[in-house]
Amino acid sequence: MTENKLLIALAGNANVGKSVIFNHLTGLHQHIGNWPGKTVERAEGTLHFKGYTIDIVDLPGIYSLSTYSLEELVSRKYIAVERPDVVINVVDASVLERNLFFTLQLMELETPMVIALNQMDIAKSKGIQVDIKKLEQLLGVPVMPTVAVKGVGIAKLLEKAIETVEKGLVKKHAHVRYGEEVEEKIGALIEKMKNAQFVYPPRYVAIKLLEGDEEIEREIQRIDPQIVFTAKKLAAKIECIHGHCCSTVITSERYEAAGCIARAAQKLVSPMKPSKVERLHNFTTHKVTGYLMLVFSLLLIFYFIFTFGDYTSGFLSDLLYGLEPFFASAFGTGLVGNLIWGGVMEGLIAGITIVLPYIIPFYIILYFLENSGYLSRIAFLMDNVMHKIGLHGKAFIPMMLGFGCNVPACLGCRIMETQRERLLAAFVTTLVPCAATTVIILGLVGDFLGIHWALALYLFNLVIIFVLGRLAFRVVPGEPTALIMEMHDYRWPHTKTILKQTWFRVAEFIKIAFPLIIVGSLVLKLAEVSGVLETVAAVLSPVTVVWLGLPAITGITLIFGVLRKELSLVMLAALLGTTNFALVLTPVQMIVFTLVAMFYIPCIATIAALVRDFGWKKSLFITVFEIAFAILLGGVALRLLTLAM
Amino acid sequence: MEKRNTEKNTLPLTALKQGEAGTVASISGGHGKGGGFEKRLMDMGLTPGTTVTVVKSAPFHGPLEILVRGSRLALGRGMAERIFVEKEK
Repeated sequence: MTENKLLIALAGNANVGKSVIFNHLTGLHQHIGNWPGKTVERAEGTLHFKGYTIDIVDLPGIYSLSTYSLEELVSRKYIAVERPDVVINVVDASVLERNLFFTLQLMELETPMVIALNQMDIAKSKGIQVDIKKLEQLLGVPVMPTVAVKGVGIAKLLEKAIETVEKGLVKKHAHVRYGEEVEEKIGALIEKMKNAQFVYPPRYVAIKLLEGDEEIEREIQRIDPQIVFTAKKLAAKIECIHGHCCSTVITSERYEAAGCIARAAQKLVSPMKPSKVERLHNFTTHKVTGYLMLVFSLLLIFYFIFTFGDYTSGFLSDLLYGLEPFFASAFGTGLVGNLIWGGVMEGLIAGITIVLPYIIPFYIILYFLENSGYLSRIAFLMDNVMHKIGLHGKAFIPMMLGFGCNVPACLGCRIMETQRERLLAAFVTTLVPCAATTVIILGLVGDFLGIHWALALYLFNLVIIFVLGRLAFRVVPGEPTALIMEMHDYRWPHTKTILKQTWFRVAEFIKIAFPLIIVGSLVLKLAEVSGVLETVAAVLSPVTVVWLGLPAITGITLIFGVLRKELSLVMLAALLGTTNFALVLTPVQMIVFTLVAMFYIPCIATIAALVRDFGWKKSLFITVFEIAFAILLGGVALRLLTLAM
Repeated sequence: MEKRNTEKNTLPLTALKQGEAGTVASISGGHGKGGGFEKRLMDMGLTPGTTVTVVKSAPFHGPLEILVRGSRLALGRGMAERIFVEKEK
């Protein structure tokens, strides 16, 4: 059976349409997981074609095969160690030079490959014509033109990939020729290594050693330290001749080679349209219109999501609560019935009424923004602001997500380059008031004290994010990384890809959050029916009553809020027996309660998301810190507000 | 702003006005171990001798938008300050 199995890897820069091609190839037979032990995503899928069972792995979008990011390391290890039968290198025809720089590095790994020359339509509208035969000839690699968003050329690409494997068109492709001095050193190193056995091809190892690649150095050091020593000496010679460090020289020469090939294979004619996308880019990054557009888009998005979410959430909740009588008749209203309905079902309903109405539209919009290119413009505009809390512009994106729901937002922090920045961004994100927190702010303070108080609280929240973010940036060791980001041309995204990406995210959320919400709600129900809650309220009363000046019962409701923040308000109404909070709470109490609810803990699903990416210790630290901070803040606010009002 | 004079007159990329172009002369590692970001810039195409055009900069000392090797990059200001260029006439 093994002869009918094929393993194909997709590799290429970010935003070249790799995931669109992946989706065309694999349809629904795919799943997204993590690389073992890494927070790098791994998308895999299977398809059947011409009697073959083909496994396809979508490698992360990267610009180089060095050691700058985890993604780069994972990709090159995969190609060298797992040895896919063929690598499909997706290349953006409209930015040929940069893409070929990556292609040349793949070729150095001496893997069988086929190039998918994608976005031919965009290249054409930019006035770039690529001579495919010429490119094939220069690279020694088959090149297939594709327009992935329209599905053009995908079948032929696959056929070509299989043909490449069948005919064994391996290792025939041309090498990049570096300058004479460099080639000489590469030759010398290969000669020195000829008796050693590595997983990587010798020429690749020689080049990487000259570049001073730490990971390869470490591996070769174990086999033969003499080789590393020689490589260092040779690299020093090159540095002496060129006046730049050896890695710079090699990168430059590789880029020169990529540039030469690109220039030889492409012809620039005047663009067909005086580029609408260019004008849109200028408009959306302009120092005035860009920010206006940003504010407008964000408001529109939030308005849409909250209106849609609110309506749908209410509708679903009415519908699902309509099932209560059936459950009552099936399981009775005794202890068991109470646990099944009030524990399991209400937990499930809570989950469903967040996911469907809020999270699904949020993801659809997010992926639309990302795939179209607007997200990178937002990062460009917000870089400056985010720098104040030690993060770069990209961190604005998970923060924005946080306003919808903190869970996907925390998972979204993976777009940051280093683990340190992921943690900082996630911490800041947990402070962002999510949709459920908004329900409390609007439902309590907004309804009973007026919208200006609600807005003031929102503003205060932003100040706190800023202050704590800055503090965290100082405390957490390490250097900040600056923004380096490609802003690709605007394009209309591929709908199916967006829907699939959304689906995977939602599935991920359900897997993380639902079990916790259901178990949590069961535990609380158990506590309620066994009468433990009163004891809890009494135990907490030094904090709630003495320090925060709230009714003792809020101790219970705030615990419910851990499941889902707005439950703290819903439970308050249930336990007090009224939704007219003005009868039972003073204005100061309302503000204090809301403040505490805003900050006191990431909800249980958010904690789960944190644990998943950062481990127990850090997640626990964030949680405990936020509880302490919220209590401190609430008490201080009580004293200040009592003085002022 | 600190200007570094090596063999020729070079200025930091941030000193270029909108629409001006320069060729990359050197990238200074800065404090700490800056090797990572230097390599990253090279990988993104900012190798010595490459022409870089400053398209615009975001207000209040925000990032720069540059054109390099036919593609558009956003570059944090702190990083742009460490890229030294020779201004093109």
